[in-house]
Amino acid sequence: MSEHDTNDERTDADERSTDRTDRPDSAGDEEVRSWTESSGTGTVNIQDLTKVYGTDGDELVAVDEMDLHIEAEEFVTVLGPSGCGKSTVMECVAGYLDPTEGEVLVNGEPVDGPDPSRGVVFQENRLFPWKTINENVRFGPQMRDSVDEGRIETLFDQMGLEGFEESYPHELSGGMQQRAELARLLANDPDIMLMDEPFSGLDAMTKELMQEKLLDVWEDDDRTVVFITHDVEEAILLADRVVVMTARPGQVKDVIDVDLDRPRDTNVVTSDRFNELQRRASESIHDEAERAMEQAEGRA
Amino acid sequence: MEYVRRVEQSVSLLALLAIWAVGTMIVATDLSLPTPPQVATAFVEAATGSYFWGEVVRSTFRVYLSYVIAAVVAIPLGLLIGRSEIAEDLLFPSLEVLRPIPPIAWFPALTIILFNQENIVRFIIFLAAFFPILLNTIEGVQGIEAEYSQAASSLGASSSQSLRHVVLPGALPSIYTGLVNAMGLAWVSLVAAELLSSTGLGYYLWNAFVSNAYPDVIVAILVIGVLGYVSSALVRWLGARQLPWLQSETV
Repeated sequence: MSEHDTNDERTDADERSTDRTDRPDSAGDEEVRSWTESSGTGTVNIQDLTKVYGTDGDELVAVDEMDLHIEAEEFVTVLGPSGCGKSTVMECVAGYLDPTEGEVLVNGEPVDGPDPSRGVVFQENRLFPWKTINENVRFGPQMRDSVDEGRIETLFDQMGLEGFEESYPHELSGGMQQRAELARLLANDPDIMLMDEPFSGLDAMTKELMQEKLLDVWEDDDRTVVFITHDVEEAILLADRVVVMTARPGQVKDVIDVDLDRPRDTNVVTSDRFNELQRRASESIHDEAERAMEQAEGRA
Repeated sequence: MEYVRRVEQSVSLLALLAIWAVGTMIVATDLSLPTPPQVATAFVEAATGSYFWGEVVRSTFRVYLSYVIAAVVAIPLGLLIGRSEIAEDLLFPSLEVLRPIPPIAWFPALTIILFNQENIVRFIIFLAAFFPILLNTIEGVQGIEAEYSQAASSLGASSSQSLRHVVLPGALPSIYTGLVNAMGLAWVSLVAAELLSSTGLGYYLWNAFVSNAYPDVIVAILVIGVLGYVSSALVRWLGARQLPWLQSETV
């Protein structure tokens, strides 16, 4: 993990940032991280990001000059209609894709390929089918010969996976698979968690439990989370800030500060303030969803 | 369930025997085709002598030696071609030109190059086993979803760790399919190569034919069939042991 000029970078970044929120729980102990020697880094700076697929004549502009600054330890949800390029943005941050123009800076450094400090979870689980749950969860630390048995045990306990150590992924339910995937990611102790609609394949009940689990995990440790979703309620429930994206080509349309108290649980969705925020986000995304639908029809 | 299937499988083999017995002992008696009792007698006679077993061991050894060499060469080569576009462009076209040539067609050319008959037979079996293993390895590697490699690198795996923990295990089911096919083809080409040489079960078969010892011809055919079957079963068993995650998927 690279460690450098964090202070300079933050000052620089703060000037750029337009919408800042003060997290109610961001007390002075932010620098103290359990399970890790590294300090609370994890800023993401997306600058003039443009991604074009295809070649001359048959180009598709997925993302167009997008700017977004995410602070260390912030929980940001990216809300957008399907096909708006939000996954593309995330793959650029993960290091799977190179931007066509612009750049993605993490802790002030340009992203150069995937890195264990940036953990990724997708909608379909990517647990290795040929490894047991235990082998999957300890995969990251094992690759660097730094397995902490106590920590692995804590994760199994925290994620409710005890007793499934020797099972293979396909033997688990969808919700369990996502918990195992989350455990695998946390075993690596990433600064940044990139989550691409991780719960959208789950039934409503399991989804709610997973959202609460994720909030718990995030309250416990200081990590930056970038969470992509097309679910307005989910976006507000989880986030410090909701970034609403336009239909393709993707840009930031709107940023909504979520000033609901933390720690939160799923009961917060009944509050007046939540409804107000939800209405605002729904209005913001409505036109974009319509445009995205027209685009999809035009292509069909 | 398992018991019912065993019975069904036995019925299949018994039906084959019954058709043979009826065909040679009741329907076409005047053609003097070898009947099951004649073949059984010939087998007992052959099995009590050392010559026959010597040829069984010789042929089995030839198959296994060449087969293992083919696997040791084809699997790494397949991993390389499957992973690297440069290796694919440099190697694959030549291999694709050589692949459709029946291994036995190399026999005349090999007599000029290798002289030694033992090596010629070994090489022909090697060729027969090599291509199915190679192609299935390449297919297995290229069939692994890119997402798994991405996940591995996001978790901090180096490219050699990714090869060992993602590419190889991910390709293994396909590699085993290749290994099972290769075992069958190794026995097929063994017999072809031995027909043209002067040792082994293939030669035993040919020699019995030219000496009009037809029951011995059938003995050789059946023994080759059983050896091939047992060999493939062995590879399948090894595969099932190494792929517990696939096995439990089908249960």
